[in-house]
Amino acid sequence: MTPRIGVVHARDAGIRVHTALLELLHASLPRVGVLDQGTFACDLRGMVRLIGPPGVWGERAVAAARRQGIGCAIGVASAPFVARVLAERTPPGANSELSADMERAFLAPLRVNVLPLEAALVEELGLLGIRHIGEFADLPAGAVLDRFGQAAALAHALAHGDEAPLVHASPPRRRIRARRVWDDPVHLREQLVFALRAVVDEVVASLVRDGLAALRLGLRLDRAEGGPLRFERLILPPTANAAALLRSLRWALEEWLPEGQFVGCALEATEVEPARGRQIGLFAPDGARLEEALAVARHLRSRLGPGRVLRAEVVDADARLPERAAQLTEVTS
Amino acid sequence: MGGATVDLRLARAISRAKSRFGAAAVATGSVLERRQRERRFATGTSLDLVLGGGIAPGEPLALIGRGSCGKLSVALRLAAASQQDGGMVAWIDPCASLDVVAAVRAGVDLDRLIIVRPGSRDDTLLAGAAALRSDGFRMVAVDAGPRSISAGAARFAAGLDLDDVAPLLPIVHGSVAALLVIAETRGRRTALPALAVERVAWDERFGRTRGWTFSVSRGGAHALFHTSAFSSNLTDLGMREQLRVAAG
Repeated sequence: MTPRIGVVHARDAGIRVHTALLELLHASLPRVGVLDQGTFACDLRGMVRLIGPPGVWGERAVAAARRQGIGCAIGVASAPFVARVLAERTPPGANSELSADMERAFLAPLRVNVLPLEAALVEELGLLGIRHIGEFADLPAGAVLDRFGQAAALAHALAHGDEAPLVHASPPRRRIRARRVWDDPVHLREQLVFALRAVVDEVVASLVRDGLAALRLGLRLDRAEGGPLRFERLILPPTANAAALLRSLRWALEEWLPEGQFVGCALEATEVEPARGRQIGLFAPDGARLEEALAVARHLRSRLGPGRVLRAEVVDADARLPERAAQLTEVTS
Repeated sequence: MGGATVDLRLARAISRAKSRFGAAAVATGSVLERRQRERRFATGTSLDLVLGGGIAPGEPLALIGRGSCGKLSVALRLAAASQQDGGMVAWIDPCASLDVVAAVRAGVDLDRLIIVRPGSRDDTLLAGAAALRSDGFRMVAVDAGPRSISAGAARFAAGLDLDDVAPLLPIVHGSVAALLVIAETRGRRTALPALAVERVAWDERFGRTRGWTFSVSRGGAHALFHTSAFSSNLTDLGMREQLRVAAG
C-alpha cells in the first residue's frame, strides 16, 4: 500500500511555531488536521501529481519550515498513528517514510506505553509479560476486548496497523475582509458610515457563509494625506449581524475621527468564532433585543460617565418619599 | 471602484433629498417593508383610537401639555405597550423626574427599562441617537421636563424643549424604535405628530383634590382619561363623542 498520511511534528512547539507551521501546511495541502500542539496530520491521498511523491513533499516541507526557523520532523506511513510515532522518532529537519509492509515490524519493538493506553493497563500488561507492541499485537483481538475493554481493543487495532487513514482536517483560516477605494474623498462622518455599509455587508456575507460571528473587527481608513488610520473594535457578544457591526464602527468614529479626506477603507474580521445558535423568542419575540440594548447602555455609560445610565427597582412602594420608594443602580452588565 | 463612487453619490443625493423634503422622504425598500411588518404598540385604551391603532415604530410622537395634566401617565402607558412583546424602552430623563413607582403602576416592566439622565443637550441627543440607531429598543422616550425649569433665566442644565430634539427626527425614521417626546409646548421650528394633553376637570372631594380628568386629542378625536392623584391609576373614560352620545 502506498503511504498516504504524513505527520509533521515540531518538538516543544509554542503557539507561534504551531500557528506558523499550520499556515505553511495549509498553503500547500487541502487537508491538514491538528493532532496536538505542533503535530499535524496531512492527508496525501491523490496528491502525487500536484506535490510529487510523499518523500519529495516531505523534503520540501522540512526545507520550507527551516526557512522560517522551525525545525520539524516528518513521518509518512499508511495510518496516522504509525506516521506520528515515526515522526516523533525522526530527528528534526529530516523526514522518514515507511512502507505498509514494514509498519508492523517498525512498531513491534516499541514499548507498549507508546500506544494510547492508561498507565494502570500498561502496568497490568507488564505483569502479564507483555512489554512491547509486537507482543500485544499477537494477542487475539477478541480476548483483548473481553479482558481489557474497548480502549485496549482500539489500541490493539493500532498495534496491528488497522487504523483507517482518516484525517480530521480543519479548513485553513480565511481572511474575511473587504476593501473599497473611493474616487471622491469622503470627509463627513455620516457619509463615511454610509459608505462603510457596503463593506460591512460584504464581510457579513462571508461570515454567514462560513457560519462565523465576528469577535474583533479591524478597520483601516486610507487618508488622502498622511498615513492610514486604524481602528480595532471588540464585538461583544460576537455577531454576524450587519447592523450591530456597523453600529460598533459608528461608535468608534463618533468617539474619535480626526479631520481629513478619506479615500478608501479596508475592513477585516480579525477574530472570529463559530456563530452560536440562540433560542430566542421562546417567551418573548423581542428577547434578543435585550443584549443589544445593554450594549448600547454600556456604551452610553462609557460616554456619559457614572450615574447617568441606570436601571430601577422598587424597594418600598408605600414609602412616603419617592426617592425611598425606588432604587437606581448603574448599568454594568 | 465604480460601485464605491456610486455609493457616495447616492449618499449625497439621499442627504440632499432629506434636507430638502424631510427625513421621511427617502426610505429603503427594506425599511418600508419592515415598518409594514412591525405592528403598532397598542395600549388597549381609547388612546389607540386617537393614534390610529397605537404608536408605530420608526415614527416620532410628541405629548404636549401643561404641567400636571397627565402627559407622563399617557407616556408610561405607551412605554408599557411597547414592552408587551419583551421590547426594551430607553427613558431619557434629563430632569430626573421619572417616578419609578408610577411607572410600575402603569404597567412598565423595570427589567426592560433603561433610564438615562444626561447632563446636557448634547448628551441627550447622543443618548437618543445611540438608542434609536440600535436594534435594541422599541421605544425611546425623551422627557423634556417642566417648562418652568427648562426655560427662562434659571435654565436647567439640560435645557430641553421640543426644538432641541429635532436632530433625532431623521434618525427615528430608519429606526425600529418609536420616539416619544414629552414637552410642555410645541416647537417653534419643529413640527412633529403630537397629541395634545389637556386637563378637563379637577376631581375634588371635601375640598381636597383626588385627581383630574384630562383629554388626549389629535385632529377631531378626543380620548378622555381620569387619573388619581394618590395612586397614579389611569382610568379610560372612552372617546368624547361616545360620551356625548351616551349623555344624550
